[in-house]
Amino acid sequence: MAELTDLRDEQLLLMMQAGDENAFTTLYRRRQGNIYRFVLEMSGSAPLAEDVTQEVFMALIRESRGFDPSRGSLSGYLLGMARHHALRLLKRDQTYVSASRAEEGGREWGDAAPASGEDPHSAMSRRETIYSVRQAILSLPEHYREAVVLCDLNEMSYEETASVLDCSVGTVRSRLHRGRALLLQKLTGGVKVEPAREAIDGKRCLA
Amino acid sequence: MNCKDFGNMIHQLVSGRVADRTKQLEALEHAGHCLWCARRLDDESKLTERLQAFAGSIQGQRAPMRVEAELLQAFRERKPGEGTKLFGPAWRRIWRGAAWGLAFAAMAATAWIMIIEWPRLHRGTSAPPSRVAGSRPQVSSDASRAYDTPGSGATLKSDARAEVAPIRNSQRSVPEESAGEAATDFISLGTCDDSQCMEEATLVRVALPAEALLAFGLGTDNEYAPDATVQADVALGSNGVPFAIRFVN
Repeated sequence: MAELTDLRDEQLLLMMQAGDENAFTTLYRRRQGNIYRFVLEMSGSAPLAEDVTQEVFMALIRESRGFDPSRGSLSGYLLGMARHHALRLLKRDQTYVSASRAEEGGREWGDAAPASGEDPHSAMSRRETIYSVRQAILSLPEHYREAVVLCDLNEMSYEETASVLDCSVGTVRSRLHRGRALLLQKLTGGVKVEPAREAIDGKRCLA
Repeated sequence: MNCKDFGNMIHQLVSGRVADRTKQLEALEHAGHCLWCARRLDDESKLTERLQAFAGSIQGQRAPMRVEAELLQAFRERKPGEGTKLFGPAWRRIWRGAAWGLAFAAMAATAWIMIIEWPRLHRGTSAPPSRVAGSRPQVSSDASRAYDTPGSGATLKSDARAEVAPIRNSQRSVPEESAGEAATDFISLGTCDDSQCMEEATLVRVALPAEALLAFGLGTDNEYAPDATVQADVALGSNGVPFAIRFVN
């Protein structure tokens, strides 16, 4: 197994296609976390994230030839599959992203235990921040949420995100821009975030 | 750098993705003297911090072990060769293209049959036996042509026979004209000026009150007995509406 962890995804996939169980296990352990967290962040539901993770790897077992290396990385391919499954299930059951469901699932995710040595006040403040960010992300329209989750939470590049979302880099940029603007608006209590006009009047650089 | 350029790269700036050090310095310098952009930078930085805190809180989350166990079970139970499809992505793309081509050809063929062939076949099979095919009645739109007018009253024009002969010979519903029978030209009733009506005309022999002649300017009031009838051939269009008439002596 030590050697397998050094191999690239595509090499592991080839070995898996040849029936190597260890290669499959290595690949699964390497990539399942990203997929699980992506769906969790998109849906707010741990059971849904679990189902989608399982479906994605089941599909890989059944149709591993569906991956075309010329069109992107295996990681992007798996995230793309996860996205399709997640959107399908979300459309089927919109309650997954309702605020009430997100509140119910508050203990399922994003509610990390306090760090060692952290004082109770800081821990409370951190939990409140995490809760409000989670609520704000879940309330975003799907196409903005995807861009924010992939670029900001999973720290993927614009190019990788474009590959997963099957759109252009420019589209990713604009969706991210709009998504972040909406997040700012939600996190500041619905007030549109703009500097006070009187304070900056005449000082904005348009040149 | 202006505010627009700054806005375009603010996300890269706060997430530390600006590869060009010079541009990064330019952006920070701009924010140093532009209050609007400084405020934006501050807001975006705070948002990024919050998002990173949130991402950090779920960093260790993974699917439960039972998922891995079930997947391994499925991997072991798969049939040899399953998952390795006969055709790879390239072949599938070619096949998909061919399938679209075939679908387009099928649609074109269907459209051709529906628009061109079907009406032709339908016309050929459902036409009544008395339908005139390939000939058309010579219709006179002017009733005055139907008879000789040199002042001595109306007389039926005997040489009209030659003009309508092709129709008369093809009509089963119209009785064969005897040797002594004479007919007027067809007189248009004004219901159809389209040549298509003539192509699809059906002739029907009817008996009309003699007064009908008067309506077409034939004869005079006292020429016929009140109960007298005259024979006429009525040309019916495909929609059943009469569009021309001729009187038979």
